[in-house]
Amino acid sequence: MFGKTDVSAPLFVVAALVCFLIGGLMTTVVPPLVDASWSRPFKNDDPSKGPTGVLRPYTEIELKGRAIYVREGCWYCHTQQTRTILADTVRSGWRGVNAPISTPDEFVYDSPHLFGTKRTGPDLSHVGGKYDVQWHRTHFRNPRDLVPGSVMPPFPWIANNEPEFQALVAYIQTLGRAKDWRPDHDYEQ
Amino acid sequence: MTGKENPSPMTVPAAAPPVHSDTAAKWFILSSIAYFFIVGIIAVTIAAKFVWPELLGTIPAFSYGRLRPLHVNGMLFGWLLAADMGLVYYIVPRLCGVRLWSEKLGVATAVLWNVIILGAVVSLLAGWNQGWEYAELPMPLDVLVVVAWIMFGANIFATIASRKYAQMYVTLWYIMGTILWTAFVYLTGNFAVLFTTGVNQANLNWMYVHNAVGLIFTPVGLALAYYFIPKAGEVPLHSHKLSMIGFWSLAFVYVWTGAHHMIHGPISQWLQTIAIVFSVMLLIPVWTVVYNFIATMKGQWPQMRDNVPLKFLMSGVVFYLLTCFQGPMHSLRSVNAIVSKTDWIPGHAHMAVLGAFSFFAIAGVYYVIPRMFRRGLSSEPMATWSYWLMMVGGLGFFVTLWLGGFWQGWQWNNPSIPFIDTVVALKPVWTVRFFSGVLIFLGIVLFAYNIMATAVGASEKRTGAAAAV
Ligand code: HEC
Repeated sequence: MFGKTDVSAPLFVVAALVCFLIGGLMTTVVPPLVDASWSRPFKNDDPSKGPTGVLRPYTEIELKGRAIYVREGCWYCHTQQTRTILADTVRSGWRGVNAPISTPDEFVYDSPHLFGTKRTGPDLSHVGGKYDVQWHRTHFRNPRDLVPGSVMPPFPWIANNEPEFQALVAYIQTLGRAKDWRPDHDYEQ
Repeated sequence: MTGKENPSPMTVPAAAPPVHSDTAAKWFILSSIAYFFIVGIIAVTIAAKFVWPELLGTIPAFSYGRLRPLHVNGMLFGWLLAADMGLVYYIVPRLCGVRLWSEKLGVATAVLWNVIILGAVVSLLAGWNQGWEYAELPMPLDVLVVVAWIMFGANIFATIASRKYAQMYVTLWYIMGTILWTAFVYLTGNFAVLFTTGVNQANLNWMYVHNAVGLIFTPVGLALAYYFIPKAGEVPLHSHKLSMIGFWSLAFVYVWTGAHHMIHGPISQWLQTIAIVFSVMLLIPVWTVVYNFIATMKGQWPQMRDNVPLKFLMSGVVFYLLTCFQGPMHSLRSVNAIVSKTDWIPGHAHMAVLGAFSFFAIAGVYYVIPRMFRRGLSSEPMATWSYWLMMVGGLGFFVTLWLGGFWQGWQWNNPSIPFIDTVVALKPVWTVRFFSGVLIFLGIVLFAYNIMATAVGASEKRTGAAAAV
């Protein structure tokens, strides 16, 4: 069949589309049908099966904060996934307790997804509750005031806009909170 | 489809009798070069922000998170894809022995494309970002891209349908493949994602991101290389059979690999494994194609000394080989655990988009501009300088980011090193990257100036040879 494709354009078109669509359908349409955890929100009340908790939908203010996170391109520098790599679980951890790895069922309310591809700054998948509001305010005003050597840009127009700032922090505090994994439940608010 | 057969499928058909006005090609190419220059300024600016993070720091529109998508989209769609489309408008009529089906439609497409790019500049600076990599543009612009692509595809397919030669040269297959696959890939990345969330959406997004490179920029870039290497070197292609193997293996293998962007991430392990297996299989199309190019150049290497298009083309081939060796290696779980999410990745991505595919497009532009405007290139020495600046700057950029990124990944895997120390450790790397970027940018300036000067006729000498095409 391929022998004739370089003299017949219609035959070529059919062959090129068939080749493409086999892989295209197998890798996009089929996986969510096979793997239910892609669309089932996380819920567990049995401590023997790992961290308990439930994934709840975002509130209005959290969604507003999330939109700011998208608008400002925070996701070009920060990932939101604790991978199946030991160092990731340690770095996302809290007071010596490793964070659980991220699973698909923690993200079913996310659109756009914000998994990210580049870590110029640390992963934020479990940053919810790590810092309090005042820390974030100072940090957004100028990151280097808190962390010398940081290359995170300053965001004065967020720090100085109270509704936007509150919304963004409300969103950040949700990250990684579906699973209740910290032994002392000692989250900042 | 009647007409005579080519003497051999391995020779690029000679320029045919019809006289080409090339209006659409000129519009696309000249505007793409303007964006190459403008977006180059943005590129240098964001590289500078890694060295001086406070630079332009109080102006929302010029913060890193807004300039980065403008840099990526501007380079991909404003420069590279537009230049590729312009060169396609030049190549296809010549390979078919007929005029372009409609120059008017082509010019209308160019105008629409410029509207899209200007719309992109405004919306990205304003922060109207949809939040998907490579698919940042707001919905109205996405719809216009689809319209422009249909206009482009219809024009090219109609030209191919009216061709004089039955046998289609390999460049034409890659161009047709690009047009067809892009349609599906673009719809997946910009429209299908709207109906999904979370991991499901990420999977579609990566299918798009990966295939924007693999099934848009790769095939159209190879189409150019298959046309311009034999043309610029005045040699026949080494093997028709190898070009077929390379094309059909690419057509089948590429699309499976999207999930390799989530190796170790929250996505099903079996899908990761499929993506890894197919990523490694990519070595088949890559090595066949590269072997074909290298064998074509057998005995012709001395030509590289003073043939600027060939310099860019063959350096591009080497970068293509290297990029496509890195890609499959990154997908292996052990390698991925070190390099993924580090600065190695921009080093890799720039070698693909700048080192390989932009080099092919630049070579094509240097080749076609004197022929379209029927006068000699404004300055040959300046063209050679543009090559060396981009080459040295590019190598400095790629190599420092690989070394730095590898080191960074190594440090991340030792959690006793505080994260901020891994940031501070990379500062010398980012400084070298900035200066390499400046060199690349100077190369772009010389390239853009030379082409514009040729287009407006600033050249003294008029060569008879160029006028003959
Ligand atoms: C140019 C890249 C870059 C951008 C853009 C960026 N950051 Fe950062 N971010 C960093 C770096 C580097 C650090 C680590 C040093 C520090 O804490 O400042 C960091 C740290 C952080 C931390 C602390 C994480 C921890 O675990 O200590 C938070 C929270 C954060 N960033 C949120 C944001 C938000 C929200 C945005 C968007 C408004 C943003 N960042 C944009 C680079 C960036």
